[in-house]
Amino acid sequence: MSFAILLAALVAFGAVTGVAAGVLGVGGGILMVPFLTLVAGMPQHAAEATSLLVVLPTAIVASLVLHRRGVGDLGLALRFGVIGAAGAAGGALLALELPGRSLRVVFAVFLALVGLRLIHDGLQTERT
Amino acid sequence: MQDAGSPRIARARFVDPQLLAIGLAGGVLSGLLGVGGGIVMVPLLVIWAGYAQRDAHAMSLGAIVPISIAGVLTYGIAGEVRLPEALALAVGAVAGARVGAGLLSRLGDRPLKLAFGSFLVAVAILMAIRR
Repeated sequence: MSFAILLAALVAFGAVTGVAAGVLGVGGGILMVPFLTLVAGMPQHAAEATSLLVVLPTAIVASLVLHRRGVGDLGLALRFGVIGAAGAAGGALLALELPGRSLRVVFAVFLALVGLRLIHDGLQTERT
Repeated sequence: MQDAGSPRIARARFVDPQLLAIGLAGGVLSGLLGVGGGIVMVPLLVIWAGYAQRDAHAMSLGAIVPISIAGVLTYGIAGEVRLPEALALAVGAVAGARVGAGLLSRLGDRPLKLAFGSFLVAVAILMAIRR
């Protein structure tokens, strides 16, 4: 795949994850990491790192929109997010210590759990 | 914030230990797996901390900002971030998110969740078996 085609595919796939995030409330990362590893052929660590860099602007834009509408408390969210940031640095350091293959299996287990929860939620939802 | 949202919001002028624990859980998951962490923070904020769904969603997104900055910096120092790919995905994602929010009101919840859930399980199996 040439680099230009890959970039175009990435923009298109980014749009799909954005739509899915808006519709299902599932973040983009859950879709981007498998796409980057399975389709774009990226190693697991690079896929996770790249996914996080996409999550950041998406979260900033969404937070500002919701803040303007008066939903939630952005100041409080940022404050508890700072503690979360310490956890994120720790989690990333742990991931970097793991071999890519093991990290991928951990991710797959997490993905399966999220999938099963969505199926469970879907079955609980009233038919429309 | 005076008229809408859960009563918790108005009273929460300081950060209580419960929120810190939720932030920490979301952060570790985010850094470890390269996701936002909302998938654990939103349910915890609703079920454990008693926030309304809409507020929990907003709070989770706000917390993801510092969380993902820390994750990007940590992976970035290790040289793992691929900038051109991230920019291309981000352009699509920011545009797509607006469309997605609009679609939310029109599509049925049930078929979407069932289809998407099955898709994720299939992808998980593929990731686990492929080298």
